[in-house]
Amino acid sequence: MRTSLSLVLTFALPLILLVATGLGKNSAALGGTEFRISLALTVGLVSIGTVGYSLAIARDRDTGVFQRLRVTPAPTWTIMVSRWIVQLGAVLVMAIVVLVVAALFVGVTLPPQDYLFTVLVALLGSAVFLSIGQAIVGLIASADTLNAAGRLLYVPLIGLSLFGDTDRLGTTVELVSRWSPGGCLETLLSAAMGATPWSGQLWGALFASFGYTVVFAVIGIRWFRWVSH
Amino acid sequence: MIPALRVSGLRVAYGSIVAVDSIDLEVREGEIYGLLGPNGAGKTSALSAIEGLLRPAAGDIVIGDVDARAHPLQAKAQLGVQLQTTSFHSSLTLVEIVRLYAGLYGVTLTSAQIRELLGQINLQKEASKRFRELSGGQQQRFSLLIATIHDPALVLLDEPTAGLDPQARRQLWDRIERFRKEGRSILLTTHSMEEAQAVCDRVAIMDHGKILTVGTPAALIAAHRDDPQVRQAAHGPVTLEDVFIALTGRELRD
Repeated sequence: MRTSLSLVLTFALPLILLVATGLGKNSAALGGTEFRISLALTVGLVSIGTVGYSLAIARDRDTGVFQRLRVTPAPTWTIMVSRWIVQLGAVLVMAIVVLVVAALFVGVTLPPQDYLFTVLVALLGSAVFLSIGQAIVGLIASADTLNAAGRLLYVPLIGLSLFGDTDRLGTTVELVSRWSPGGCLETLLSAAMGATPWSGQLWGALFASFGYTVVFAVIGIRWFRWVSH
Repeated sequence: MIPALRVSGLRVAYGSIVAVDSIDLEVREGEIYGLLGPNGAGKTSALSAIEGLLRPAAGDIVIGDVDARAHPLQAKAQLGVQLQTTSFHSSLTLVEIVRLYAGLYGVTLTSAQIRELLGQINLQKEASKRFRELSGGQQQRFSLLIATIHDPALVLLDEPTAGLDPQARRQLWDRIERFRKEGRSILLTTHSMEEAQAVCDRVAIMDHGKILTVGTPAALIAAHRDDPQVRQAAHGPVTLEDVFIALTGRELRD
């Protein structure tokens, strides 16, 4: 059940969004085709990094998997790094699937170097959302509470990334949205896909993404506990 | 002869609460050593410090000839550990878990060897199952297999028989006895005084973070046989449990 739900969140939801956002009459107001792809990637990244990662860590912490690993001669840092590598692998697969579906069913093809940039930005985005997941799992001990918090955060993290290119909800929402973790990622993904030229705003989004990653990672590592009690 | 484990002046504190208060203990080669105490006595904290899960506030821990505080990874490589509650990655089968943990200890096993190991604990048919799909007794057997996959000289068992039915408990004790015959040393905690009396070469009774007494079960019984509190606790011949109750009190612990 849990596995099928996480599979849906990781792969099906981004693909559904990729197709569904092109169906409405007003969907163009949110952004173009590249926006649809970057939205799909952002949803996948939040699912894998923030929700999936934090839940998996909390569950393993609750059941004692980490403690079992910590009594082996494996250095402690390798326990966490191995988890990050798995998540990055999942992000890579998700990004490739979204780009392949975009090419086959949405009709969006990119020059080869833009595919590379897009995947690289997706990996940078995964660092942002993994660090948010790490912060959540660092601050919340209980797996049940974390489950609820992760699901609650899912909505604003995705929602905020929707309105960075439109002032339909006002300029304040647009500004907040643009500089939110999801908004910065959207900006970078659009640039990676060649939709927008490199500019000061892109540098800002890049620095902001690094900043988010560092701040949330520090919080997540500083307050992380290997046991939930 | 170098002891399998030497702990001196070990102190573990959680903020202002002292869980382990400057204890000394020594586990000799080929010995089963029982650490007994009521809930909250500090047994698991002491064990956790030895296992490297907790950083002690003070004290020395030497495993074989390795200073565990100075060289924690080297010390962990010499230890076999079964925790009070253990779980393994939920997505892995037993075979995959064995392969993973063998790899972490630098042990290379072929598929045939893994099957043979699982066969030794009657889990060959369960080889492709997940850990959570096993019964309590099967989980305990499997955890012990993982704890000893690298053939450690010292095995630490935290309440290994908790929650097991008599058959599973008997099987586990047989296995622990086999470890002793193979020359391994075992440090365990248990709430079962009967088992400790029957199986342990020496026991230490611990309470409020301190070790109250150490000795063979027979020596402890002989030493405390005539204590008024022991006489009061005993219903017939004095047992280790009577000595334990007399030393640690009758009040319930959380």
